[in-house]
Amino acid sequence: MSIKRILIAVAALLYLGFLAVLGGAYYFGLKQAAAWPPKEAGPGIPDKERPKVERNVQQLERRMAGLLPKGVYIVIDTAENRLYLKNAQDVLRTAVVSCGSGVVLEEPGGKKRSWVFDTPRGEFTVKSKITNPYWVKPDWAFIEEGEAIPRDVEDRIESGTLGDYALGFGEGFFIHGTLYTRLLGRNVTHGCVRVGDEDLKAVFKAVPLGAKIYIY
Amino acid sequence: MKKAALFTVLMAAVLAAAAVPEAAGKASLAKKQSSLNSEYALAKDPGFYFVLDVLGRKLELRVRGMVLRSWPLQSMRFWGQPDFSGNVELVRKTTLKAPLRIVIKPGSEEPAPAPAAQPSPAKSAPANPAEYDLEALELKDMPKRFSLDFDNGLHVTIRSKAAGSSGTFGALRDAWRWYVALPLKNLFGRRGDKALSELELIFDGDKDAQAIYWHFFDGIKGVIL
Repeated sequence: MSIKRILIAVAALLYLGFLAVLGGAYYFGLKQAAAWPPKEAGPGIPDKERPKVERNVQQLERRMAGLLPKGVYIVIDTAENRLYLKNAQDVLRTAVVSCGSGVVLEEPGGKKRSWVFDTPRGEFTVKSKITNPYWVKPDWAFIEEGEAIPRDVEDRIESGTLGDYALGFGEGFFIHGTLYTRLLGRNVTHGCVRVGDEDLKAVFKAVPLGAKIYIY
Repeated sequence: MKKAALFTVLMAAVLAAAAVPEAAGKASLAKKQSSLNSEYALAKDPGFYFVLDVLGRKLELRVRGMVLRSWPLQSMRFWGQPDFSGNVELVRKTTLKAPLRIVIKPGSEEPAPAPAAQPSPAKSAPANPAEYDLEALELKDMPKRFSLDFDNGLHVTIRSKAAGSSGTFGALRDAWRWYVALPLKNLFGRRGDKALSELELIFDGDKDAQAIYWHFFDGIKGVIL
C-alpha cells in the first residue's frame, strides 16, 4: 500500500515538475516575443542626419522605380495560366493561356535523352516576331508520337499548329496560338505559352521587339 | 508660484507628447531606409524575390520592385528568437507528399503519351475544361501544407486554413508539437549555433498555399520585414 502511495507521489511530483518546466518555457517564450517588434524608437537618427536619410530614401525610391520595365511588357503566371499585358503598373489586357505541363519525356533505346516540359521562368525579352509561323518539330515531338525522327528538315515542318503569330523569347520557346482553345487555362504545353487567337493578335500588335517578358 | 509650477509641468507634458511621434517618425524613416536598401539589393538583379511583411501581414512575390503576386496572411504564430528579419535565402522546401512529375517513356508499358501534350479537340470531353484529368503537374497538385528553411535558421510552416491536422491523431500530434515540444525545444534546445525560430503562416485559401509552393524555388532570395 505504501509503495503504491510512493509511486503516486513520485508520478505527481514528476507531473508537477514537467508543468513547472513547461511554464518556464512559456515564460521564456513570452519574454522573447515581448521584445519584438523592436521598440519604435529603434536605432535613432540624429537630427542633423535626418535630411541626409530622407534624401537617401527618395533616391532609393527613384532607383527602384527606374528598375521597372520601360514601355509595354508581358507578365506570365505559369501557375494560374494567365498572361498580363502591362505598361508600368497598368494592366492593359489579361489573357487565359496554357503553360508547360511539367511532364518528363524519356527517349527509349540507347540514347536515353530526356526532356522536361516546363515553361522557363525568369526575365526574357521578345527576340522575334513572326507572322504565320510554322513549326519545325524537334526530336521529342517524334519520340512522343513513337515515330522515327526524320533526317530531312522538310519532314519536320508543320504549318497551322502555332496560330497566326508567334513571339520568340529564346531557346526555342514561343508565345504562340493554339488549335486547342478548350485547354486554355490548363498546363498542357511542352514549354511554350499558348494564347487564344484574339489575345494573341492584341499582344503581338502591342509588344515591340526587345520588350520584357517576366515568367514566374 | 503654484501657477508657474503648473505651467512648467503642462509645457513639459506637451513637449514630451510632441517628441513621441517625432521619435516614431525617425524610427520609421530608418526602417524604410533599411528595407529599401535590402530590397534594392535584390531588385537590381533580374531574379524573382519575395518580401514577407510580418507586421503588414502579407507575403509578396516581386521582380524589379514590381509586385507579381500578393498573398495576405489569415493568421500566424511564432515560437523562438524573433530576430529573423533581413535578407534571407531559401535553403530547403519540404513537404510530406511532394508532387511528382509524370514520366513518359514511349514504347514501354507505361500509360500512353500524355494527353496533356496532344489533346484532341475531336475527343468527347467533359463540358468544363477545368475538369479534364490531364497528365500534367498543375497548381491543384501542389501541397497545401509545407515548410521552408532559410539560411538564417528560420523555419517557416505554410499552410492553408483548411489544411489543418487530419484526424484526431494528427490534431493531437500538432498540438503536442506546438504547445509542448516547441516551447521546450526553445528553452533547452538549439539548432547548431542558432536559436530556434519557428514561424507558421496560415492563408485563407488552398490556392494561396499551393501557389506559394509553386513559385518558391530552392535558392529564392527574399526580405523579411
